[in-house]
Amino acid sequence: MLFILLQTQVPPSNLPYLVAAFAVSWAVFFIYAFFVARRQRELQAEIRELQQALAERDSAQDSGD
Amino acid sequence: MSVAPGQQDQRSKAVLRPNIKEIFLLVTGILMLVNIYMIFMVAPTDANLGNVQRVFYFHFPMAIMSFLAFFTVFVAGALYLVRRESRWDNLSYAAAEVGVIFITLTLLTGVIWAKPVWGAWWLWTPRLTTTLILWLIYVAYMMIRAYAPNQSKAAVYGSVMGLIGFIDVLIVYFSVEWWPGIHPAPVVGPLAESDSLESTMRGVLGFSFLSFIFLLVYLVWERVSLRSTEDNVKSLRFSLRRSRAGAAAGE
Amino acid sequence: MTDFLRPVGVLVWKDIVLELRSRELVVSMLVFGLMLVVVFNFALSVTPQRVATVAPGILWASFAFAGVLAMSRAFAREREQGGLDGLLLTPVSRDSIFLGKAASIFIFMVLVEAILLPIFAGLMGFSAVSFALVLTIVLATAGFAIVGALFAAIAVQTKSREILLPVLFFPVILPVIVGAVEATKLAIGGESVVGIGHWLPLIGAFDAVFLVICPWVFSLVVEE
Repeated sequence: MLFILLQTQVPPSNLPYLVAAFAVSWAVFFIYAFFVARRQRELQAEIRELQQALAERDSAQDSGD
Repeated sequence: MSVAPGQQDQRSKAVLRPNIKEIFLLVTGILMLVNIYMIFMVAPTDANLGNVQRVFYFHFPMAIMSFLAFFTVFVAGALYLVRRESRWDNLSYAAAEVGVIFITLTLLTGVIWAKPVWGAWWLWTPRLTTTLILWLIYVAYMMIRAYAPNQSKAAVYGSVMGLIGFIDVLIVYFSVEWWPGIHPAPVVGPLAESDSLESTMRGVLGFSFLSFIFLLVYLVWERVSLRSTEDNVKSLRFSLRRSRAGAAAGE
Repeated sequence: MTDFLRPVGVLVWKDIVLELRSRELVVSMLVFGLMLVVVFNFALSVTPQRVATVAPGILWASFAFAGVLAMSRAFAREREQGGLDGLLLTPVSRDSIFLGKAASIFIFMVLVEAILLPIFAGLMGFSAVSFALVLTIVLATAGFAIVGALFAAIAVQTKSREILLPVLFFPVILPVIVGAVEATKLAIGGESVVGIGHWLPLIGAFDAVFLVICPWVFSLVVEE
Protein backbone atom coordinates (compact mmCIF):
# COMPACT_ATOMS: atom_id res chain seq x y z
CA MET A 1 0.00 0.00 0.00
CA LEU A 2 2.78 2.37 1.00
CA PHE A 3 4.59 1.33 -2.15
CA ILE A 4 1.67 2.46 -4.24
CA LEU A 5 1.36 5.75 -2.40
CA LEU A 6 5.03 6.40 -3.02
CA GLN A 7 4.61 5.54 -6.64
CA THR A 8 1.83 8.04 -7.16
CA GLN A 9 4.24 10.85 -6.41
CA VAL A 10 6.07 10.53 -9.69
CA PRO A 11 3.39 10.23 -12.41
CA PRO A 12 0.74 12.92 -12.85
CA SER A 13 -1.94 12.78 -10.22
CA ASN A 14 -5.21 12.12 -11.96
CA LEU A 15 -6.82 9.93 -9.36
CA PRO A 16 -10.22 11.70 -9.47
CA TYR A 17 -10.68 10.61 -13.09
CA LEU A 18 -9.86 7.03 -12.17
CA VAL A 19 -12.32 7.09 -9.29
CA ALA A 20 -14.99 8.65 -11.50
CA ALA A 21 -14.58 6.01 -14.22
CA PHE A 22 -14.83 3.13 -11.77
CA ALA A 23 -17.68 4.68 -9.83
CA VAL A 24 -19.71 5.19 -13.01
CA SER A 25 -19.09 1.64 -14.22
CA TRP A 26 -20.01 0.00 -10.95
CA ALA A 27 -23.01 2.23 -10.36
CA VAL A 28 -24.40 1.27 -13.77
CA PHE A 29 -23.81 -2.46 -13.29
CA PHE A 30 -25.39 -2.48 -9.85
CA ILE A 31 -28.37 -0.38 -10.88
CA TYR A 32 -28.97 -2.61 -13.89
CA ALA A 33 -28.68 -5.82 -11.89
CA PHE A 34 -30.92 -4.33 -9.20
CA PHE A 35 -33.68 -3.41 -11.63
CA VAL A 36 -33.55 -6.76 -13.39
CA ALA A 37 -33.70 -8.60 -10.07
CA ARG A 38 -36.54 -6.44 -8.79
CA ARG A 39 -38.60 -6.92 -11.93
CA GLN A 40 -37.93 -10.65 -11.75
CA ARG A 41 -39.25 -10.74 -8.18
CA GLU A 42 -42.33 -8.69 -9.05
CA LEU A 43 -43.12 -10.96 -11.96
CA GLN A 44 -42.62 -14.11 -9.89
CA ALA A 45 -45.10 -12.73 -7.37
CA GLU A 46 -47.52 -11.96 -10.16
CA ILE A 47 -47.13 -15.47 -11.56
CA ARG A 48 -48.00 -16.94 -8.17
CA GLU A 49 -51.09 -14.72 -7.93
CA LEU A 50 -52.20 -15.59 -11.43
CA GLN A 51 -51.70 -19.28 -10.87
CA GLN A 52 -53.73 -19.07 -7.71
CA ALA A 53 -56.48 -17.15 -9.46
CA LEU A 54 -56.52 -19.73 -12.22
CA ALA A 55 -56.61 -22.63 -9.74
CA GLU A 56 -59.50 -21.03 -7.84
CA ARG A 57 -61.34 -20.45 -11.06
CA ASP A 58 -60.85 -24.04 -12.15
CA SER A 59 -62.06 -25.44 -8.84
CA ALA A 60 -65.06 -23.06 -8.88
CA GLN A 61 -65.94 -24.23 -12.36
CA ASP A 62 -65.56 -27.85 -11.37
CA SER A 63 -67.95 -27.44 -8.42
CA GLY A 64 -70.31 -25.41 -10.61
CA ASP A 65 -70.71 -28.14 -13.21
CA MET B 1 -52.83 -18.89 2.61
CA SER B 2 -52.82 -22.62 2.17
CA VAL B 3 -50.38 -24.08 -0.28
CA ALA B 4 -51.47 -26.85 -2.57
CA PRO B 5 -49.05 -29.78 -2.80
CA GLY B 6 -48.47 -29.09 -6.47
CA GLN B 7 -47.49 -25.52 -5.78
CA GLN B 8 -45.14 -26.60 -3.03
CA ASP B 9 -43.48 -28.86 -5.51
CA GLN B 10 -43.09 -26.08 -8.02
CA ARG B 11 -41.67 -23.73 -5.49
CA SER B 12 -39.03 -26.13 -4.29
CA LYS B 13 -38.08 -26.64 -7.91
CA ALA B 14 -37.94 -22.89 -8.35
CA VAL B 15 -35.57 -22.69 -5.41
CA LEU B 16 -33.40 -25.46 -6.78
CA ARG B 17 -33.17 -24.29 -10.36
CA PRO B 18 -31.62 -20.84 -10.01
CA ASN B 19 -28.89 -22.36 -7.89
CA ILE B 20 -26.60 -22.76 -10.87
CA LYS B 21 -27.16 -19.12 -11.67
CA GLU B 22 -26.51 -18.09 -8.09
CA ILE B 23 -23.28 -20.05 -8.02
CA PHE B 24 -22.34 -18.37 -11.26
CA LEU B 25 -23.14 -14.99 -9.74
CA LEU B 26 -20.98 -15.84 -6.73
CA VAL B 27 -18.06 -16.81 -8.97
CA THR B 28 -18.54 -13.62 -11.00
CA GLY B 29 -18.56 -11.54 -7.81
CA ILE B 30 -15.39 -13.14 -6.49
CA LEU B 31 -13.66 -12.74 -9.83
CA MET B 32 -14.66 -9.10 -9.95
CA LEU B 33 -13.40 -8.41 -6.43
CA VAL B 34 -10.07 -10.08 -7.23
CA ASN B 35 -10.04 -8.14 -10.49
CA ILE B 36 -10.45 -4.83 -8.68
CA TYR B 37 -7.75 -5.81 -6.21
CA MET B 38 -5.42 -6.65 -9.06
CA ILE B 39 -6.17 -3.47 -10.95
CA PHE B 40 -5.51 -1.26 -7.94
CA MET B 41 -2.86 -3.19 -6.05
CA VAL B 42 -1.02 -5.53 -8.39
CA ALA B 43 -0.84 -3.55 -11.60
CA PRO B 44 2.01 -1.03 -11.54
CA THR B 45 1.20 2.64 -11.93
CA ASP B 46 1.90 3.72 -15.47
CA ALA B 47 4.99 5.90 -15.61
CA ASN B 48 3.61 8.28 -18.23
CA LEU B 49 -0.10 8.36 -17.54
CA GLY B 50 -0.30 7.85 -13.81
CA ASN B 51 -3.19 6.22 -12.03
CA VAL B 52 -5.78 6.97 -14.65
CA GLN B 53 -4.17 4.31 -16.83
CA ARG B 54 -5.92 1.75 -14.61
CA VAL B 55 -9.18 2.67 -16.30
CA PHE B 56 -7.82 0.79 -19.28
CA TYR B 57 -8.19 -2.56 -17.48
CA PHE B 58 -11.91 -1.87 -17.39
CA HIS B 59 -12.39 0.08 -20.53
CA PHE B 60 -10.81 -2.32 -23.00
CA PRO B 61 -12.48 -5.53 -21.78
CA MET B 62 -15.85 -3.74 -21.68
CA ALA B 63 -15.39 -2.66 -25.30
CA ILE B 64 -14.62 -6.23 -26.35
CA MET B 65 -17.56 -7.53 -24.31
CA SER B 66 -19.91 -5.18 -26.14
CA PHE B 67 -18.61 -6.50 -29.47
CA LEU B 68 -19.18 -10.04 -28.22
CA ALA B 69 -22.69 -9.09 -27.15
CA PHE B 70 -23.47 -7.54 -30.53
CA PHE B 71 -22.06 -10.56 -32.29
CA THR B 72 -24.46 -12.64 -30.19
CA VAL B 73 -27.30 -10.33 -31.26
CA PHE B 74 -26.31 -10.92 -34.87
CA VAL B 75 -26.09 -14.72 -34.59
CA ALA B 76 -29.17 -15.15 -32.39
CA GLY B 77 -31.16 -12.76 -34.59
CA ALA B 78 -30.21 -14.68 -37.73
CA LEU B 79 -31.16 -17.95 -36.01
CA TYR B 80 -34.48 -16.44 -35.01
CA LEU B 81 -35.20 -15.35 -38.58
CA VAL B 82 -34.48 -18.87 -39.83
CA ARG B 83 -36.01 -20.99 -37.06
CA ARG B 84 -38.59 -18.66 -35.49
CA GLU B 85 -38.00 -19.94 -31.98
CA SER B 86 -38.62 -17.32 -29.33
CA ARG B 87 -35.62 -18.41 -27.26
CA TRP B 88 -33.30 -17.06 -29.96
CA ASP B 89 -35.11 -13.77 -29.88
CA ASN B 90 -34.88 -13.66 -26.10
CA LEU B 91 -31.15 -14.21 -26.32
CA SER B 92 -30.82 -11.60 -29.05
CA TYR B 93 -32.75 -9.02 -27.04
CA ALA B 94 -30.91 -9.73 -23.80
CA ALA B 95 -27.52 -9.55 -25.49
CA ALA B 96 -28.48 -6.26 -27.16
CA GLU B 97 -29.54 -4.67 -23.90
CA VAL B 98 -26.44 -5.80 -22.02
CA GLY B 99 -24.30 -4.84 -25.02
CA VAL B 100 -25.74 -1.33 -24.97
CA ILE B 101 -24.83 -1.06 -21.29
CA PHE B 102 -21.29 -2.25 -21.95
CA ILE B 103 -20.76 0.06 -24.90
CA THR B 104 -22.23 3.03 -23.01
CA LEU B 105 -19.76 2.36 -20.21
CA THR B 106 -16.97 1.94 -22.75
CA LEU B 107 -17.75 5.40 -24.11
CA LEU B 108 -18.10 6.94 -20.64
CA THR B 109 -14.89 5.45 -19.23
CA GLY B 110 -13.11 6.32 -22.48
CA VAL B 111 -14.21 9.93 -22.24
CA ILE B 112 -13.13 10.12 -18.59
CA TRP B 113 -9.78 8.56 -19.50
CA ALA B 114 -9.26 10.88 -22.45
CA LYS B 115 -9.65 14.12 -20.51
CA PRO B 116 -6.46 13.87 -18.43
CA VAL B 117 -4.50 11.95 -21.07
CA TRP B 118 -5.37 13.78 -24.29
CA GLY B 119 -6.56 16.98 -22.67
CA ALA B 120 -9.90 16.62 -24.46
CA TRP B 121 -13.00 14.60 -23.65
CA TRP B 122 -13.35 13.43 -27.21
CA LEU B 123 -11.29 13.12 -30.39
CA TRP B 124 -12.77 11.96 -33.67
CA THR B 125 -10.44 9.02 -34.10
CA PRO B 126 -11.63 6.06 -36.16
CA ARG B 127 -11.98 3.86 -33.11
CA LEU B 128 -14.01 6.38 -31.14
CA THR B 129 -16.16 7.25 -34.12
CA THR B 130 -16.89 3.61 -34.86
CA THR B 131 -17.80 3.01 -31.23
CA LEU B 132 -20.15 5.97 -31.21
CA ILE B 133 -21.89 4.76 -34.38
CA LEU B 134 -22.12 1.28 -32.90
CA TRP B 135 -23.82 2.81 -29.88
CA LEU B 136 -26.28 4.69 -32.12
CA ILE B 137 -27.10 1.55 -34.10
CA TYR B 138 -27.92 -0.50 -31.03
CA VAL B 139 -29.85 2.31 -29.41
CA ALA B 140 -31.87 2.30 -32.64
CA TYR B 141 -32.25 -1.47 -32.12
CA MET B 142 -33.81 -0.86 -28.71
CA MET B 143 -36.10 1.84 -30.15
CA ILE B 144 -37.27 -0.25 -33.08
CA ARG B 145 -38.32 -2.97 -30.66
CA ALA B 146 -40.00 -0.57 -28.27
CA TYR B 147 -42.12 0.98 -31.03
CA ALA B 148 -43.04 -2.24 -32.84
CA PRO B 149 -46.78 -2.95 -33.00
CA ASN B 150 -46.52 -6.37 -31.34
CA GLN B 151 -44.02 -8.80 -29.93
CA SER B 152 -43.53 -10.99 -32.97
CA LYS B 153 -42.99 -7.91 -35.14
CA ALA B 154 -40.57 -6.59 -32.54
CA ALA B 155 -38.63 -9.83 -32.75
CA VAL B 156 -38.39 -9.66 -36.55
CA TYR B 157 -37.46 -5.97 -36.59
CA GLY B 158 -34.88 -6.54 -33.89
CA SER B 159 -33.32 -9.46 -35.73
CA VAL B 160 -33.22 -7.45 -38.95
CA MET B 161 -31.59 -4.51 -37.19
CA GLY B 162 -29.11 -6.82 -35.46
CA LEU B 163 -28.18 -8.32 -38.82
CA ILE B 164 -27.88 -5.05 -40.70
CA GLY B 165 -26.21 -3.26 -37.81
CA PHE B 166 -23.49 -5.84 -37.49
CA ILE B 167 -22.70 -5.93 -41.21
CA ASP B 168 -22.85 -2.15 -41.33
CA VAL B 169 -20.33 -1.76 -38.53
CA LEU B 170 -17.70 -3.51 -40.66
CA ILE B 171 -18.26 -1.00 -43.46
CA VAL B 172 -18.39 1.88 -40.97
CA TYR B 173 -15.01 0.82 -39.65
CA PHE B 174 -13.38 1.06 -43.08
CA SER B 175 -15.07 4.33 -43.90
CA VAL B 176 -13.84 6.08 -40.78
CA GLU B 177 -10.44 4.39 -40.96
CA TRP B 178 -9.88 5.99 -44.37
CA TRP B 179 -11.45 9.26 -43.37
CA PRO B 180 -8.78 11.98 -43.60
CA GLY B 181 -10.58 14.37 -41.28
CA ILE B 182 -9.38 12.61 -38.15
CA HIS B 183 -6.48 13.37 -35.89
CA PRO B 184 -3.61 10.92 -35.88
CA ALA B 185 -4.22 7.92 -33.68
CA PRO B 186 -2.78 8.38 -30.21
CA VAL B 187 0.58 6.71 -29.89
CA VAL B 188 1.03 7.50 -26.24
CA GLY B 189 -0.60 5.36 -23.65
CA PRO B 190 -1.82 1.84 -23.37
CA LEU B 191 -4.04 2.08 -26.44
CA ALA B 192 -1.02 2.18 -28.70
CA GLU B 193 -0.02 -1.48 -29.05
CA SER B 194 -0.40 -4.44 -26.77
CA ASP B 195 3.29 -5.30 -26.90
CA SER B 196 4.05 -2.00 -25.24
CA LEU B 197 2.33 -3.41 -22.15
CA GLU B 198 4.51 -4.75 -19.46
CA SER B 199 3.97 -8.40 -18.51
CA THR B 200 2.25 -7.66 -15.15
CA MET B 201 -0.06 -5.28 -16.93
CA ARG B 202 -0.81 -7.92 -19.50
CA GLY B 203 -1.58 -10.43 -16.76
CA VAL B 204 -3.97 -8.04 -15.03
CA LEU B 205 -5.63 -7.28 -18.35
CA GLY B 206 -6.06 -10.99 -19.06
CA PHE B 207 -7.64 -11.57 -15.69
CA SER B 208 -9.92 -8.59 -16.22
CA PHE B 209 -11.04 -10.12 -19.50
CA LEU B 210 -11.90 -13.36 -17.74
CA SER B 211 -13.97 -11.65 -15.07
CA PHE B 212 -15.77 -9.47 -17.62
CA ILE B 213 -16.69 -12.51 -19.68
CA PHE B 214 -18.29 -13.93 -16.54
CA LEU B 215 -20.10 -10.65 -15.92
CA LEU B 216 -21.34 -10.53 -19.49
CA VAL B 217 -22.62 -14.09 -19.41
CA TYR B 218 -24.24 -13.54 -16.05
CA LEU B 219 -26.05 -10.37 -17.08
CA VAL B 220 -27.28 -11.88 -20.35
CA TRP B 221 -28.39 -15.00 -18.51
CA GLU B 222 -30.29 -12.95 -15.94
CA ARG B 223 -31.94 -10.88 -18.67
CA VAL B 224 -32.94 -13.97 -20.67
CA SER B 225 -34.55 -15.54 -17.63
CA LEU B 226 -36.36 -12.29 -16.90
CA ARG B 227 -37.68 -12.32 -20.44
CA SER B 228 -38.94 -15.85 -20.17
CA THR B 229 -40.65 -14.89 -16.89
CA GLU B 230 -42.26 -11.98 -18.73
CA ASP B 231 -43.52 -14.43 -21.35
CA ASN B 232 -44.88 -16.68 -18.60
CA VAL B 233 -46.79 -13.82 -17.05
CA LYS B 234 -48.20 -12.88 -20.42
CA SER B 235 -49.45 -16.36 -21.20
CA LEU B 236 -50.89 -16.76 -17.69
CA ARG B 237 -52.71 -13.45 -17.97
CA PHE B 238 -54.04 -14.56 -21.32
CA SER B 239 -55.35 -17.89 -20.05
CA LEU B 240 -56.93 -16.21 -17.02
CA ARG B 241 -58.68 -13.71 -19.26
CA ARG B 242 -59.85 -16.52 -21.52
CA SER B 243 -61.19 -18.54 -18.66
CA ARG B 244 -63.02 -15.46 -17.35
CA ALA B 245 -64.45 -14.77 -20.79
CA GLY B 246 -65.46 -18.42 -21.08
CA ALA B 247 -67.22 -18.29 -17.70
CA ALA B 248 -68.99 -15.06 -18.67
CA ALA B 249 -70.18 -16.61 -21.92
CA GLY B 250 -71.34 -19.71 -20.08
CA GLU B 251 -73.54 -17.82 -17.65
CA MET C 1 -36.09 -12.14 -65.75
CA THR C 2 -38.80 -10.07 -67.43
CA ASP C 3 -41.32 -11.63 -65.06
CA PHE C 4 -39.24 -10.27 -62.25
CA LEU C 5 -38.55 -6.83 -63.69
CA ARG C 6 -41.98 -6.08 -65.17
CA PRO C 7 -43.72 -5.64 -61.79
CA VAL C 8 -40.82 -3.46 -60.67
CA GLY C 9 -41.40 -1.21 -63.66
CA VAL C 10 -45.15 -1.15 -63.07
CA LEU C 11 -44.69 -0.22 -59.42
CA VAL C 12 -42.27 2.57 -60.26
CA TRP C 13 -44.62 3.85 -62.96
CA LYS C 14 -47.51 3.84 -60.49
CA ASP C 15 -45.50 5.98 -58.05
CA ILE C 16 -44.48 8.35 -60.83
CA VAL C 17 -48.07 8.75 -62.03
CA LEU C 18 -49.21 9.40 -58.46
CA GLU C 19 -46.47 11.99 -58.10
CA LEU C 20 -47.35 13.63 -61.42
CA ARG C 21 -50.91 14.03 -60.17
CA SER C 22 -50.19 15.33 -56.69
CA ARG C 23 -46.73 16.90 -57.21
CA GLU C 24 -46.33 17.09 -53.44
CA LEU C 25 -43.18 15.04 -52.87
CA VAL C 26 -40.66 16.40 -55.36
CA VAL C 27 -41.65 19.99 -54.69
CA SER C 28 -41.31 19.63 -50.93
CA MET C 29 -38.00 17.80 -51.32
CA LEU C 30 -36.67 20.59 -53.51
CA VAL C 31 -37.78 23.37 -51.21
CA PHE C 32 -36.53 21.51 -48.15
CA GLY C 33 -33.18 20.81 -49.80
CA LEU C 34 -32.72 24.44 -50.81
CA MET C 35 -33.73 25.58 -47.36
CA LEU C 36 -31.12 23.30 -45.82
CA VAL C 37 -28.46 24.78 -48.09
CA VAL C 38 -29.40 28.25 -46.85
CA VAL C 39 -29.46 27.14 -43.21
CA PHE C 40 -26.04 25.47 -43.48
CA ASN C 41 -24.67 28.50 -45.27
CA PHE C 42 -25.44 30.59 -42.21
CA ALA C 43 -24.66 27.89 -39.66
CA LEU C 44 -21.18 27.30 -41.08
CA SER C 45 -20.61 30.83 -42.43
CA VAL C 46 -19.31 29.70 -45.79
CA THR C 47 -16.57 31.92 -47.12
CA PRO C 48 -14.92 31.46 -50.53
CA GLN C 49 -11.80 30.09 -48.85
CA ARG C 50 -13.73 27.39 -47.02
CA VAL C 51 -16.08 26.35 -49.81
CA ALA C 52 -13.95 23.41 -50.92
CA THR C 53 -13.95 21.82 -47.46
CA VAL C 54 -17.48 22.69 -46.37
CA ALA C 55 -19.53 22.45 -49.57
CA PRO C 56 -19.51 18.63 -49.96
CA GLY C 57 -20.79 18.21 -46.43
CA ILE C 58 -23.60 20.71 -46.98
CA LEU C 59 -24.49 19.09 -50.28
CA TRP C 60 -24.79 15.61 -48.79
CA ALA C 61 -26.58 16.74 -45.66
CA SER C 62 -29.18 18.38 -47.90
CA PHE C 63 -29.46 15.32 -50.15
CA ALA C 64 -29.77 13.00 -47.17
CA PHE C 65 -32.43 14.98 -45.33
CA ALA C 66 -34.41 15.61 -48.51
CA GLY C 67 -34.10 11.91 -49.30
CA VAL C 68 -35.66 10.96 -45.97
CA LEU C 69 -38.82 12.73 -47.16
CA ALA C 70 -38.96 10.47 -50.21
CA MET C 71 -38.45 7.40 -48.03
CA SER C 72 -41.11 8.22 -45.51
CA ARG C 73 -43.57 8.98 -48.29
CA ALA C 74 -42.80 5.76 -50.15
CA PHE C 75 -44.79 3.57 -47.80
CA ALA C 76 -46.89 6.20 -46.03
CA ARG C 77 -48.78 6.71 -49.27
CA GLU C 78 -49.47 2.97 -49.49
CA ARG C 79 -50.50 2.74 -45.90
CA GLU C 80 -53.00 5.57 -45.97
CA GLN C 81 -55.27 3.69 -48.37
CA GLY C 82 -54.37 0.18 -47.33
CA GLY C 83 -52.36 -0.05 -50.54
CA LEU C 84 -49.56 -2.04 -48.98
CA ASP C 85 -51.86 -4.94 -48.10
CA GLY C 86 -53.20 -4.81 -51.64
CA LEU C 87 -49.66 -4.89 -53.01
CA LEU C 88 -48.73 -7.83 -50.82
CA LEU C 89 -51.79 -9.75 -51.99
CA THR C 90 -50.87 -9.41 -55.66
CA PRO C 91 -48.98 -12.37 -57.15
CA VAL C 92 -45.79 -10.35 -57.27
CA SER C 93 -42.67 -11.43 -55.43
CA ARG C 94 -41.66 -9.44 -52.38
CA ASP C 95 -38.31 -8.79 -54.01
CA SER C 96 -40.07 -6.99 -56.86
CA ILE C 97 -42.08 -4.89 -54.45
CA PHE C 98 -38.95 -3.96 -52.56
CA LEU C 99 -36.99 -3.13 -55.69
CA GLY C 100 -39.91 -1.13 -57.04
CA LYS C 101 -40.02 0.96 -53.90
CA ALA C 102 -36.25 1.38 -53.78
CA ALA C 103 -36.25 2.34 -57.46
CA SER C 104 -38.92 4.99 -57.03
CA ILE C 105 -37.08 6.47 -54.03
CA PHE C 106 -33.94 6.45 -56.17
CA ILE C 107 -35.67 8.16 -59.09
CA PHE C 108 -37.22 10.89 -56.96
CA MET C 109 -33.95 11.50 -55.15
CA VAL C 110 -31.91 11.64 -58.35
CA LEU C 111 -34.45 14.00 -59.90
CA VAL C 112 -34.24 16.35 -56.93
CA GLU C 113 -30.46 16.09 -56.82
CA ALA C 114 -30.21 16.85 -60.53
CA ILE C 115 -32.07 20.11 -59.92
CA LEU C 116 -30.35 20.97 -56.65
CA LEU C 117 -26.79 20.29 -57.79
CA PRO C 118 -26.47 23.04 -60.45
CA ILE C 119 -28.16 25.56 -58.13
CA PHE C 120 -25.86 24.54 -55.34
CA ALA C 121 -22.79 24.64 -57.58
CA GLY C 122 -23.77 28.12 -58.69
CA LEU C 123 -24.30 29.34 -55.15
CA MET C 124 -21.05 27.87 -53.87
CA GLY C 125 -19.06 28.58 -57.00
CA PHE C 126 -17.72 25.25 -58.16
CA SER C 127 -18.17 23.25 -61.33
CA ALA C 128 -20.74 20.47 -61.24
CA VAL C 129 -19.68 19.04 -64.58
CA SER C 130 -17.68 16.02 -63.55
CA PHE C 131 -18.23 12.38 -64.38
CA ALA C 132 -16.70 11.40 -61.04
CA LEU C 133 -19.21 13.58 -59.19
CA VAL C 134 -22.16 12.17 -61.13
CA LEU C 135 -21.01 8.61 -60.50
CA THR C 136 -20.59 9.37 -56.80
CA ILE C 137 -24.09 10.78 -56.61
CA VAL C 138 -25.65 7.83 -58.45
CA LEU C 139 -23.85 5.21 -56.34
CA ALA C 140 -24.51 6.94 -53.02
CA THR C 141 -28.15 7.63 -53.87
CA ALA C 142 -28.59 3.95 -54.73
CA GLY C 143 -27.30 3.08 -51.26
CA PHE C 144 -29.68 5.61 -49.69
CA ALA C 145 -32.62 4.18 -51.62
CA ILE C 146 -31.88 0.53 -50.81
CA VAL C 147 -31.42 0.97 -47.07
CA GLY C 148 -34.06 3.70 -46.93
CA ALA C 149 -36.73 1.53 -48.55
CA LEU C 150 -36.18 -1.19 -45.94
CA PHE C 151 -36.27 1.14 -42.94
CA ALA C 152 -39.23 3.01 -44.36
CA ALA C 153 -41.10 -0.30 -44.57
CA ILE C 154 -40.25 -0.97 -40.91
CA ALA C 155 -40.91 2.55 -39.65
CA VAL C 156 -44.30 2.82 -41.35
CA GLN C 157 -45.54 -0.18 -39.39
CA THR C 158 -44.54 1.24 -36.01
CA LYS C 159 -46.41 3.63 -33.78
CA SER C 160 -44.10 6.56 -34.40
CA ARG C 161 -43.73 6.30 -38.22
CA GLU C 162 -41.78 9.27 -39.53
CA ILE C 163 -39.95 9.92 -36.28
CA LEU C 164 -38.31 6.51 -36.19
CA LEU C 165 -37.10 6.49 -39.80
CA PRO C 166 -34.20 8.97 -39.49
CA VAL C 167 -33.14 7.41 -36.18
CA LEU C 168 -32.80 4.01 -37.85
CA PHE C 169 -31.57 5.23 -41.18
CA PHE C 170 -28.74 7.64 -40.38
CA PRO C 171 -26.44 5.44 -38.28
CA VAL C 172 -26.63 2.70 -40.90
CA ILE C 173 -26.11 4.98 -43.91
CA LEU C 174 -23.19 6.81 -42.31
CA PRO C 175 -20.42 5.03 -44.25
CA VAL C 176 -22.11 6.08 -47.50
CA ILE C 177 -22.31 9.68 -46.31
CA VAL C 178 -18.64 9.65 -45.30
CA GLY C 179 -17.67 8.10 -48.63
CA ALA C 180 -19.87 10.44 -50.66
CA VAL C 181 -18.60 13.56 -48.91
CA GLU C 182 -14.96 12.59 -49.37
CA ALA C 183 -15.50 11.55 -53.00
CA THR C 184 -17.34 14.79 -53.71
CA LYS C 185 -14.51 16.76 -52.14
CA LEU C 186 -12.04 15.07 -54.48
CA ALA C 187 -14.32 15.36 -57.52
CA ILE C 188 -14.84 19.08 -56.95
CA GLY C 189 -11.08 19.42 -56.64
CA GLY C 190 -10.83 18.09 -60.20
CA GLU C 191 -9.97 14.44 -59.56
CA SER C 192 -11.13 11.86 -62.09
CA VAL C 193 -12.92 8.61 -61.18
CA VAL C 194 -9.56 6.92 -60.71
CA GLY C 195 -8.30 9.70 -58.47
CA ILE C 196 -11.15 9.20 -56.00
CA GLY C 197 -9.64 5.88 -55.08
CA HIS C 198 -11.25 3.68 -52.47
CA TRP C 199 -14.32 5.83 -51.77
CA LEU C 200 -16.29 4.69 -54.80
CA PRO C 201 -15.52 1.00 -54.19
CA LEU C 202 -16.59 1.52 -50.57
CA ILE C 203 -19.96 2.93 -51.60
CA GLY C 204 -20.27 0.28 -54.31
CA ALA C 205 -19.56 -2.47 -51.78
CA PHE C 206 -22.18 -1.01 -49.44
CA ASP C 207 -24.74 -0.97 -52.28
CA ALA C 208 -23.93 -4.54 -53.30
CA VAL C 209 -24.08 -5.96 -49.76
CA PHE C 210 -27.38 -4.30 -48.91
CA LEU C 211 -28.87 -5.02 -52.34
CA VAL C 212 -28.48 -8.69 -51.42
CA ILE C 213 -29.64 -8.47 -47.79
CA CYS C 214 -32.43 -5.90 -47.93
CA PRO C 215 -34.86 -7.64 -50.32
CA TRP C 216 -34.61 -10.79 -48.21
CA VAL C 217 -35.26 -9.07 -44.89
CA PHE C 218 -37.95 -6.92 -46.48
CA SER C 219 -39.98 -10.05 -47.18
CA LEU C 220 -39.66 -10.97 -43.49
CA VAL C 221 -40.56 -7.48 -42.32
CA VAL C 222 -43.79 -7.14 -44.27
CA GLU C 223 -45.14 -10.64 -43.68
CA GLU C 224 -48.05 -11.01 -41.28
